[in-house]
Amino acid sequence: MSNKMSRRKFLKVVAGSGVLGFGVMASGCKGKPSGGDGWVSSQYEGKGDFPVNLKGRVAISATNPSIERDDEKCILCGQCVDACKNVMGVYGNYPLPLKQEIACVGCGQCVMQCPSGAITEKSHVRKVLDAIDDDTKHVVVQTAPATKVSLGEEFGMPQGTSVGKKMAGALKAAGFDSVFDTCFAADLTIMEEASEFVHRLTKKKDEIPHLTSCCPGWVKYCEYFYPELMHNLSTCKSPQNMMGATIKSFYAEKMGIDPSNIVNVSIMPCTAKKFEVAREELEVDGQQDMDYVLTTRELAVLLKHKGIDLNTVAEAEYDSVLGESTGAGRIFGATGGVTEAAVRTAYYLATGSNPPADLLDWKPIRGMQSVKEATASIPGVGAVNIAVCHGLENVRQLLDGIKAAGSSKWQFIEFMACPGGCIGGGGQPKSMDAVEAKKKRIEAIYKEDTGAEKRCSHDNAEIQSIYRDFFGKPLSEKAEKYLHTTFVNRHGRLFD
Amino acid sequence: MAVLVDITKCIGCEGCTVACKRYNNLNFKAKPRNVKEDGNVELDDNRWTVIQEFHGEKNDKLRFVKKQCLHCKEPACASACFSKAIQKDEKTGAVVYYPDLCVGCRYCLVACPYSIPKYQWNEQFPQVSKCQMCSERVSKGDAPACVSACTTGALTSGDRDELLKKAHEIIRSDSRYINQVYGEHEVGGAEWLYISDVPFEDLGFKEVTNVPVTSYTKSYLSKVPGLAACWALFLSGIAFYNYRVDKNRNQIQDPHDNDDQDKEG
Amino acid sequence: MKVHKCFRILGWDFTITPTRFVLTGLVALMVVAVVLRLLTGFQYVTNLTDETPWGMWIAFDVMCGVALAGGGYSTALLVSILRYKEFHVVARGALLTSLLGYILVMAGLFLDIGQWFNFWRPFVSWGYTSVLFEVFWCISIYTTVLSIEFFEIITERVLRKKLHRYIVKILPVLVVIGLIFPVMHQSSLGGLFLIMKERMFPLWWSEFLPLYFLLSSFFIGSAMVTIETTLAKTAYGHEIPHNIMLKLTRIGAGMMFVYLLLKLYDLFEKHEWNYVFQGTLQSNMYCVEMLFGILIPLVIIVSPLSKKKGGLLTYAVLTVLGVILNRLNCVFTSMYESGSYFPGIGEIIVSVGLISLGVLIYCFLVENFNIIGDERAVQVKIDKDKDIKNLIWTLLRTKRR
Repeated sequence: MSNKMSRRKFLKVVAGSGVLGFGVMASGCKGKPSGGDGWVSSQYEGKGDFPVNLKGRVAISATNPSIERDDEKCILCGQCVDACKNVMGVYGNYPLPLKQEIACVGCGQCVMQCPSGAITEKSHVRKVLDAIDDDTKHVVVQTAPATKVSLGEEFGMPQGTSVGKKMAGALKAAGFDSVFDTCFAADLTIMEEASEFVHRLTKKKDEIPHLTSCCPGWVKYCEYFYPELMHNLSTCKSPQNMMGATIKSFYAEKMGIDPSNIVNVSIMPCTAKKFEVAREELEVDGQQDMDYVLTTRELAVLLKHKGIDLNTVAEAEYDSVLGESTGAGRIFGATGGVTEAAVRTAYYLATGSNPPADLLDWKPIRGMQSVKEATASIPGVGAVNIAVCHGLENVRQLLDGIKAAGSSKWQFIEFMACPGGCIGGGGQPKSMDAVEAKKKRIEAIYKEDTGAEKRCSHDNAEIQSIYRDFFGKPLSEKAEKYLHTTFVNRHGRLFD
Repeated sequence: MAVLVDITKCIGCEGCTVACKRYNNLNFKAKPRNVKEDGNVELDDNRWTVIQEFHGEKNDKLRFVKKQCLHCKEPACASACFSKAIQKDEKTGAVVYYPDLCVGCRYCLVACPYSIPKYQWNEQFPQVSKCQMCSERVSKGDAPACVSACTTGALTSGDRDELLKKAHEIIRSDSRYINQVYGEHEVGGAEWLYISDVPFEDLGFKEVTNVPVTSYTKSYLSKVPGLAACWALFLSGIAFYNYRVDKNRNQIQDPHDNDDQDKEG
Repeated sequence: MKVHKCFRILGWDFTITPTRFVLTGLVALMVVAVVLRLLTGFQYVTNLTDETPWGMWIAFDVMCGVALAGGGYSTALLVSILRYKEFHVVARGALLTSLLGYILVMAGLFLDIGQWFNFWRPFVSWGYTSVLFEVFWCISIYTTVLSIEFFEIITERVLRKKLHRYIVKILPVLVVIGLIFPVMHQSSLGGLFLIMKERMFPLWWSEFLPLYFLLSSFFIGSAMVTIETTLAKTAYGHEIPHNIMLKLTRIGAGMMFVYLLLKLYDLFEKHEWNYVFQGTLQSNMYCVEMLFGILIPLVIIVSPLSKKKGGLLTYAVLTVLGVILNRLNCVFTSMYESGSYFPGIGEIIVSVGLISLGVLIYCFLVENFNIIGDERAVQVKIDKDKDIKNLIWTLLRTKRR
């Protein structure tokens, strides 16, 4: 074997080592680490300590009955934190570390402020569809006043279109067995609550100020943060639940239906109602008052699923027995509505005659102002100071003011969790211009009242007959059993 | 870049998990591979960090614990990787995985004392999956995406020594905290540090010794060259001895000629 | 008299028996599984999970396979270095088993790694802190050495004689190298587990793990040789004298005794004796492994049973099973807390297929090259009739020059 290095051999060696060297270099290169080829919003640039107003998101428990979240849609914009902290006064108002649960009143304002639709209500649509399809079940649906002036938006109608009759027609077409009006139950609530208020004014002064309790978001808020005021809450159930209890007792008896075969569904502008219907106290004779809640948006989904267009559906009347409503019942949907309705009947209960014209068009307590005050002079009782407050952060400030002052200058306070009242609820149609939408809806609600035949709850003929035939009179033993409730002190779940 | 996790401040919003999935382009729709009995979800190839929920014995201590790679100071995974696909960045402290170098042997999965690295079992060419501490962000001095997204201050990032000082100050000033910073010494220490008011073993933390597991490998491998050399010398010596014995016995000049006797099998 | 069909194609002998037919079928199944694995990844072919990322292909094919294939080096050590000339007769067979074993291990491993196209990375990107790095390099070098050694046998029949002579010349050096690397990687297979201290059940983790694996790989060598030669005898009628086998095995048993002593010392030193009889799955598996794999074989080898062929075979089988169980315990049982695992059908098909392939290749090589007893083996059922035996022997046998 010759050891002489020929030119050819030399070139081969050089080329070979060149290729080898390059290969070694290239192969040792570690390349790019995995991850980091996605995106985060610019709020989170740098150390994430820019003084941005909004970042992160609220905590939502998997067991929350009102709302749920699709992480894939979440862009960490922080709007939900803004709603929960600045508008509703829940986020950040309890100490860390956590005790038993994450505080959530189910108001759904985070849903309304979420721009990507990541947070939504927990859907009952499938359950309701299954109940409708089940022949053994008698499915009863009731519609809240706020939904009557909002549902149209989901079908392209202008904001503030009143669609009560169309909604009833649509619900019948969808297969519900009975279609009732929550406004009837609102009248019923007024009968009980006004009686209770007058009773407290005259006989039970320690339960003054009288705080309304038809808003489940506010009720839970009170249970969490102001448990010492729980005895001031009205013991009346909310209209939805009064209706539910009445259906499963009075109506079931009247129609000869087994209450366990009745499925009570309500159409609500509200996500907190989903929490409310699961409350253990809201049952009678082993039957939960209500079964499912569909928000306005969910109803639109259900109707569209069944191919029903609200624009073209035939109108229908609400079923009788529990279908008549007065103007007083219809204004529940707006902030100040409950108060106005209550005062109309309270006036009647105290004096025996209907209220004067100005109380039938009580401007001082209408509108979007966060706290509204007024005084009603009721002959024989005197001047009743009233406050109407909506948006839970406003509620917090008002109540903190009362606590600081040691007493309340108002005898009757209406609290609504959602800004604007129920028409601004967490289950309402989302719009590009929420302020205008709420204004139009409120206008429509009061138009329902002024256009109504009867303006006061006590004038409702079906209400009168139900007391005659079943409850006897307001605050009777039977009324207490079916139409009144108790509350749960939740303070210890958040605080030491 | 170290991170201090104050478990008492976490409200379980999981903004951190969303930020991580966004920044690293992970799949939101992937179903969890491993759901424990208590309902808690484990890390997997699409979940580089998870929040686990614990309720306390009397159900009065709701705690959310963020779980992800602890970026150890003596990482077992980096030590175990025979192609240097996992490397600890000395500047940032992040333990980073480079898929281009990965052979896919999964030694890092079994080596990690906390069982952090996971694998893309559904891919044709699977890669290892674990928190990278947003290595690009961190090398610029920015916080990892999860830390940026935290609203309650449960996550703060910074220099490890400073965070340790801060952690011990918090523990000193508030008697509710357990007197331990998890990650300070465990298996040699980590960049992710935890403080809590509930004992760590009740929050799913593994009880490990303070000895880095890499020390066992190091002590063995350091002996290998020496032992191998000794053994080689011994063998060569015997071989040479045998050769000489054979040569003398057979008086051979050319080893080619006697195939029968000189063959080793 | 039975003579199995023997085909001569292009000068190469292929014998067909029913068993080989089955084995070929298994290999075909394996090919399907391999294609599926390469196309779809792990999810359909294996039961591997994040909790149990190492499965049958590592625990059995690699850990056990390398140990079993290690029969080669222990025999080589005794034959070449310690000059136990009487073992010479088994040396070539052991080399073949070794080489074949390692190639099959590498084939199985190639399937187990996720980014198999990156298999060459550790050659240039040196993760030298890893025990696996050492294992990788040592196995690579050793397999190369074995191939060159085996090439010597191949070049007896094919290729140029010059090459053959060249290889024979460097053979002694190769043998020495070929004894350093197995010792290194056999012990390092145990060293792999050192880093898993916080995850392994205390009965299996020890600082002596490399030594345990080294010792067990040594004594399994002689056990495997016993089994192989028994099988070869049944197939080819080729026999190794019992006293040679016994002597070889006794050396292995000596190592086994050292292993036992070390294990006992370890248990007591770490105060882990209470784990042994706890009655949990881990405790029971440990007891089974030690009892059937170590204690009973030791008893057999010191008793008169060892003089019988059956006794020796029992010792060998128990030893092999014991080492396999030990390795499986290290990978699975000791990490049972992480998760339970059973091999997927694809994993079993591939492992069985690889073994079948190994057997088939072994048979082919043994029948075409001078390996067993330095002669070409013949797949013949030999009859008592001497004349016919001689006739066939003359027809088919080619003696090594």
